[in-house]
Amino acid sequence: MRERPFPVGAAALVNDRTLRIHMETITLQEVVPSVFAGRPDAAASQVWRREVTLHRGEYCLFEAASGAGKSSLCAFLYGMRGDYEGRILFDGTDIRTLAASAWDGLRRRSLSFLFQDLRLFGELTVAENLALKNDLTDYRRAEELDSLLAEAGIADKRDTPVAQLSIGQQQRVAFVRSLCQPFDFILLDEPVSHLDAANGEVLSRMLLAEAQRQGAGILVTSVGNRLPLSYHKVYTL
Amino acid sequence: MKLLWKLLRCHLSVAQVVGFALAGMVGMAILLTSLQAYRDIRPVFTQPDSILRGDFLVLSKRVSALQALGVGSTDFTPSELDELADQPFVAAVGPFTAADYRISGSVGVGGMRFSTYLFFESVPDRFLDVAPEAWHYEPGSKEVPIIIPRNYVNLYNYGFARSQGLPQLSEGIFQRVGIDLELSGNGRHETFRGRIVGLSNRLNTILVPETFIRWSNERFGRGADVRNPSRVIVETSRPVDEEVTSYLSQRGYETEGDVRDDGQATRMLQLVAGGTAGIGLLFSVLAVYILMLSLFLMLQKSSDKLRDLLLLGYAPRQVARPYVRLAVGMNIAVTLFALAAVWGLRTVYLPLVAPLQENYAPSGMGVTVLCGVALCGVMSLLDAAAVRRRIARLRPGVFGK
Repeated sequence: MRERPFPVGAAALVNDRTLRIHMETITLQEVVPSVFAGRPDAAASQVWRREVTLHRGEYCLFEAASGAGKSSLCAFLYGMRGDYEGRILFDGTDIRTLAASAWDGLRRRSLSFLFQDLRLFGELTVAENLALKNDLTDYRRAEELDSLLAEAGIADKRDTPVAQLSIGQQQRVAFVRSLCQPFDFILLDEPVSHLDAANGEVLSRMLLAEAQRQGAGILVTSVGNRLPLSYHKVYTL
Repeated sequence: MKLLWKLLRCHLSVAQVVGFALAGMVGMAILLTSLQAYRDIRPVFTQPDSILRGDFLVLSKRVSALQALGVGSTDFTPSELDELADQPFVAAVGPFTAADYRISGSVGVGGMRFSTYLFFESVPDRFLDVAPEAWHYEPGSKEVPIIIPRNYVNLYNYGFARSQGLPQLSEGIFQRVGIDLELSGNGRHETFRGRIVGLSNRLNTILVPETFIRWSNERFGRGADVRNPSRVIVETSRPVDEEVTSYLSQRGYETEGDVRDDGQATRMLQLVAGGTAGIGLLFSVLAVYILMLSLFLMLQKSSDKLRDLLLLGYAPRQVARPYVRLAVGMNIAVTLFALAAVWGLRTVYLPLVAPLQENYAPSGMGVTVLCGVALCGVMSLLDAAAVRRRIARLRPGVFGK
């Protein structure tokens, strides 16, 4: 896949693979989901209606009870939804002004997202699901993919259709897929909701290693079962 | 790409694809065949000397009681000729020039000598349907080439010769018969030798070259060189047009013979070919519509997957590719089938058309192939644009658009 210049103004630097321009900050200015706009409880949030800046290389946790808007926040940041008030800026650029094609580029090179509902393709095998993303980004070699699967404990499921896996196994497949691209920020929406503590530890280790390698920021949401990681900041929604 | 196809093909409906293929093949085959057949058959109607030709009209004015009494004239005035030439259906007007002196001709057949008064006329050479080599006259020469109507030959062979016990003559022998001509007028009396050099189907008169008429009128005529023609020959592009018929009857002009029936055949051919092509086009449009509906239905059924692919960072163009390839592949298959059908049908009808004309040469299939390829291209572009638009609409991240 050919690299195109990142559309948002940022510093250029050479990493180990190719010339990339990184996204350094994500800023939320007075952001609140439209449905919360009239509610007084939004005032108690450390994120909604505040100015919050997230930096590349920082690890942040967003905690809240169910229904406080964690998934909404992820959807806003990933450009899936626009039903919010306020402004979200990537390196100072309002994301509402980004063209659709700019979002394609962001999702391939700057933003990775582990969806809460996984969004895997059930009829395709584990390897095919990974290939679908990796073919697009051309980021991982085949051996790397195999070792990631092995690390996540699902190497034996490589050629099994995803629909036949347990939800916990599927969550790990989706996690490995989210590592099949370069990123400046990785969003993980309740990444360990279906995993035991031991598997949570494994994922945490893999995530940290990749984020450190890329110098990326980690944004995790949680309803209580949090991904074990030494967070720089913890926000309550 | 293979993965995308594997993921998206499960919503492909075989019944719909077969439906499109059938409608498309039938439509395209009808459309292209009517085009090819029109191009193949048209020469039969339009080539010179073809039996179905009819785009010349010989016009004269109706003779009424007034003219019989010597009032009025059946001549065409210069302004009438100009007006005629200005009509949209008229390509050229050629006046008949008549000889302005007395002619008597005599010929010897089988030991008998026939003598009769004759008349000569001429028309510009471009209106002749025969082009004999000897068709020219040097002023002063005693040899005069003559073209007579072919039906004079028939009249002689089947009417006169049989009833009088005279030998029937072939056209070749007829052309070797010499006619002794005596021209008199303007105080002069001279003999000439006439030779029949051609037989005309189109012109029902005794024709001599224009140069001879001009020269002899000056020599033997009564000086009435300015006399207007009483008959004109008209070359028309639309011999059977309503417009032509109504114009002629409004002016009181009469047409000679039934040459105009042939033009009706051309008209029929145009109508039939046009009608068939229209049906073919209708089928093709329906087929394009079916394919597009099938594609849209596939897109609709796959919309969740497509949205997820777009969320992974796929561009609509990439996601659309399997659908576009499917559509283009189908269009190419339909076009190839249709062209094969045209080729097959052609082998059936060409032997039927060939006897209608001597040295018949059918037009090639080049134009038809070109039209098929162009149609296939247009259909494919339409499909591709429609699919891409549909998929782009699924793309998240375009706020307020």
